[in-house]
Amino acid sequence: MKISIATLLVLLSLPTSPAQNDYQVLRGEAQGFARVIPGIPVEFPRDHMAHPSFRIEWWYITANLLDDSGNPWGLQWTLFRNSLDPQADSGGWQSNQLWMAHAAISSPEGHRFEQRFARGGIGQAGVSDIAADGNFSAWLDDWQWRSDGLQLFPSNLVFSVAGQQVDMRLESSSLWVTHGDRGYSQKSVQGQASYYYSQPNIQISGTIRTGNKTVSLSGSAWLDREWSSAPLAQNQPGWDWFALHLDDGNKLMLYRLRENNGDHWLSGSWISKDGSKQHLRRDEIELIPIHTREIKIGEKRAIKLPLEWTIKLPGLDRQWNVKALYDEQWMATRFAYWEGVVLVEDASGQSTGVGYMELTGYD
Amino acid sequence: MLLRGSFYWVLKALLSHYWRHPWQTLFLIVGLMTGVGLWSAVQIINSHAEASYQQANSLLGAQATYWVRSQSEQGVSQAKYIELRRAGFRQVFPLIEIEVSTSQGDPISIIATDLFALPGELLDQDAIDVGTNSASDWLDFIKPPYRAWVPVALAKELGLQRGDSLLLRDGRKLPPALIQSRSQQGRRVLMDIGAAFELSDIHRFSYLAVGKISPAQLRKLQSLLSDDLVLVENQQHLDLAQLTRSLHTHLTAMSLLSFAVGLFIVFNAVRFSLWYRRETFLNLRLMGVEVPKLVVAILLETLIWSFIGTGLGLLMGMQLGQLLLPALSASLHSLYDATLAGIIELQFDTLFKAWLITLFGLSWALAWPLYQQLKTSVFSANSTVAVEDSESGARRNLAVGALLLLICAAVLYRRMDSTTEGFILLALVLFAAAWLLPALLALGLRLCSSFLPEKSLLGRWLVSDAWSQLPAFRTAMMALLLAMTANLGVGTLIDSFRGAFIGWLEVRQSADLYVRGLETGRLQLPGSKISQTWLADSHARIGVSTRWRDRPTLIRGADTRAPDSLSFPLAQWLGESPGDALATWRNEPGVVLANEQVHYLAGIKIGESVRLETDEGLQNYRLVGFFYDYGNPYFQFYLPYAEVEKRWKQSYSRGIALWLKPDSGGGKSSLQLAEDHLRKQGLQAGDWISQAEVRKLSVNIFDRTFAITSAMNALTLIVAGIALLASLLAILQERLPQFAQWRALGVRQGEQLLIIACPVLIFVSIVWILAIPLGALLSWILIHKLNIISFGWSMPMQWEMAPAWQLGLLVLAVVFITLLLAMLRLRHGLAEALAQLGIIT
Repeated sequence: MKISIATLLVLLSLPTSPAQNDYQVLRGEAQGFARVIPGIPVEFPRDHMAHPSFRIEWWYITANLLDDSGNPWGLQWTLFRNSLDPQADSGGWQSNQLWMAHAAISSPEGHRFEQRFARGGIGQAGVSDIAADGNFSAWLDDWQWRSDGLQLFPSNLVFSVAGQQVDMRLESSSLWVTHGDRGYSQKSVQGQASYYYSQPNIQISGTIRTGNKTVSLSGSAWLDREWSSAPLAQNQPGWDWFALHLDDGNKLMLYRLRENNGDHWLSGSWISKDGSKQHLRRDEIELIPIHTREIKIGEKRAIKLPLEWTIKLPGLDRQWNVKALYDEQWMATRFAYWEGVVLVEDASGQSTGVGYMELTGYD
Repeated sequence: MLLRGSFYWVLKALLSHYWRHPWQTLFLIVGLMTGVGLWSAVQIINSHAEASYQQANSLLGAQATYWVRSQSEQGVSQAKYIELRRAGFRQVFPLIEIEVSTSQGDPISIIATDLFALPGELLDQDAIDVGTNSASDWLDFIKPPYRAWVPVALAKELGLQRGDSLLLRDGRKLPPALIQSRSQQGRRVLMDIGAAFELSDIHRFSYLAVGKISPAQLRKLQSLLSDDLVLVENQQHLDLAQLTRSLHTHLTAMSLLSFAVGLFIVFNAVRFSLWYRRETFLNLRLMGVEVPKLVVAILLETLIWSFIGTGLGLLMGMQLGQLLLPALSASLHSLYDATLAGIIELQFDTLFKAWLITLFGLSWALAWPLYQQLKTSVFSANSTVAVEDSESGARRNLAVGALLLLICAAVLYRRMDSTTEGFILLALVLFAAAWLLPALLALGLRLCSSFLPEKSLLGRWLVSDAWSQLPAFRTAMMALLLAMTANLGVGTLIDSFRGAFIGWLEVRQSADLYVRGLETGRLQLPGSKISQTWLADSHARIGVSTRWRDRPTLIRGADTRAPDSLSFPLAQWLGESPGDALATWRNEPGVVLANEQVHYLAGIKIGESVRLETDEGLQNYRLVGFFYDYGNPYFQFYLPYAEVEKRWKQSYSRGIALWLKPDSGGGKSSLQLAEDHLRKQGLQAGDWISQAEVRKLSVNIFDRTFAITSAMNALTLIVAGIALLASLLAILQERLPQFAQWRALGVRQGEQLLIIACPVLIFVSIVWILAIPLGALLSWILIHKLNIISFGWSMPMQWEMAPAWQLGLLVLAVVFITLLLAMLRLRHGLAEALAQLGIIT
């Protein structure tokens, strides 16, 4: 679940600073906006497109790749949409839609990221109407994810981060995975929720060009789609999220919404290699931070983050250790968070997979 | 017999004077503070302005290295902008500029952009000049009903509060105001593109700005532009530094004058301290303190005062700089379209310079006189005769010095060709006059006494009392003369300019309506049938901006037979009359008119040829006339319309002037008919401006242009007022025991006031009379020499007596306030003074 930073767009409307406040807009009632209701299943291709009646929404791609020498790389590309008010979008320069995009490259040379903003209604950013345009397209300026036809895959993802030009081809023929109850993903005991589905089985390959140097990469990507109007409860300061590609072909998504009283909300999906999904309830997941390390997040600031975890699924009799590939994968964007490549090991320390981890609300 | 640590006691003995005479201490501090304060205020705002020019290639906090403009003045389409953004040109951002008029007829410039598209950090607080810019302000900015960000100074002028919607002449309203601005917003109102589109109904951008861009990207960008769009390099920061140099020299000169006036106050205060400390020096020397030790003590005293003066002066300078900044901003905006950031900072450089200049001033005004005193204190006679002798000697020396200064001025006058030399000339003339003043005052007194009847005892007493006060008043009168002369001179300059400017406006802006805006290129004027009803004549102009002699230059194409072309206000011309020159310009090929700036700043003479760079290479044009072009920092050439259209393909419409027929009576007026026609053509109110509005705008710009000069002028006069007040109060304070003695002898209060006031009034009158011709001389040099060297335009000098009378009254008021204060002190201090009398007698 990537309730992440998109939310933060809305945060533009709030006084800045304490991190706790940055996320305030995700909490409580979103008067006038569409509500997330159980029992309404997600539908395709309709739900690949934007839902302007909901306050927040994102198209979130993460990828674990290897270069020709076998070095691990990571890519993140996210497009966030935010409605500034519950009124219908009038389009043009009066549009109440605001867009933000984040992109990052984790490589042996280090972590690079960029953020971009654009208003809706003028064509500078948006998500296409698949039927009308004949293909799917999500873009902000020249950052673009565009499919060949009416399906999301195969498609091309093109963007640049700090002078590095990323050109990737995405392919997938797997079934879509809806989380929670047919896409209704609950976030707290009070009933906060979002619509949430993923495509965890994407084959990704392409190049990253820096000046005259081009690196060829290939690996696995993961797409998350989520939209809501108020997914967080008042007492939830942040979350920890994992999307893991296991070597045996299985996939695991799980998240922990931290609650002030320590009674955290946990949820997840176990996706077998045949594509079938098993919903994981909070009492079926054990998520234990085992190593906290300090990282620099600015010129003079450093924070401690749980960068190694133990994940246990007692019902499936499985256990892994997950640790950051590089500690320095901090997204010092306007709304900052940690997002990066993780390595998965079994209890004996044997590598069993890779994935992405997101940690928010710690700064 | 001296104890160890005697130096401490020497210093303490010297400094104790300031404890015992707090008034003198106060005046010393006031003199230092005002002098250093005014000087540093100008230094601070000058260096602030220079820093702002460095950022002038940015706009609204974002860099703008190039502009994308439409040659046909049609603006840039949204589709083109989005195409460029989606091609990866994220440094490109859209801008709209609109001119509107308020319901009161005040013109307002609006600039609109998409803040989210600006290159750089989105919510960069550094880019915000004023006020706290919460994130909600940003969201309000882009959402209907939008917000108009109004700079503080403009909001004050318009009486706008946060949330007010400014009513425009045509009934439309600006979005609710937020009183704050972004850097380089200047005096313009900033709003979102969406708001600007709603306001103007034209859905195209005025132009696009291009942020920092690599040569390779620039080539790619160029290839993506259609035929009509051109890339124009932004050289504003280079031009501004060059264009504004003269203005900053003017300010520096005025601040130095203030510093000099401030030093006169110090000098005055020191004079009295010298008198009082003569005994201290004598006693110290008699006690065996060596001269070197006393010299070191004097140096230390000077150093201490330099620190105090610098500290307090800079404190005042910072405050004053902040106060003067809006005036300077207004001047710079009007003259050069330059914008300044709102917050000023004190730099170490200024601090150090302030200390140096204070130390220098104090060495001259405090240390040197103290040293002189020290040398003479043991042996000099302490008699009135000796003092008088030394006074008349000092007067003579000063007069000789004045003559030397005048000789230097005469030599400099013949070879002067830069603004700095011009100001040195002014300084020489002013100081020569100031040094000559004591001799002239003495002459005045001699004349007074020669006209007095033998038997007028009171009269003789008055004159002899004036003689005794002359040395004490000397420096204050010199300061007053400097300030009054400067005030009259600069005042006359401004008045002359105003007169010339308004006269020039009447000739230059003779049309009834001026049409501008994006659509003028497409404006269709009515044919002969309709034109019978309202249109008398029209003049469409084109133009192109270029560089000539490394300065921004405008080349204009004009209809040589239009009414305003027939009466071009020429300052110099070839042939018998201006009419001859204009006829040549109309009828012969290869002939050009240029503004006076081309003559004075580039040194081109009438009849010579200028080489202008056209699309087809360099082209020679013969200059047949220089026209007045007040307030224009650029070179400007006028050629026939067809010539410009042919030679400069990038030239585009620079507006159309319309002359209307007199109203025929009944039905709509010509103006209404004209406005109806323009609306039908797709233009909107704001795209045209009437003659009355354009005049009002021009006069407003004029007043803003001289805002900083007027402010500095007033401040210098205030400093001189303080100098006068300080010296009068000091003199009267010193003479309190004497006054008490008179009272004891039975002199009535009225008589006493007469005796105190008359010498002051005699001196002030002489200074005032002298200031009038000197002021005229100063303004003559300013108008006919300095102004031409600095700005390149000429004008006739318009001398009037009214400002001189006003100034006289103002000085009289200061004298009377001082006398009133002195009489009050006398009344309260009489008992004490009588007690002192007892001790003295």
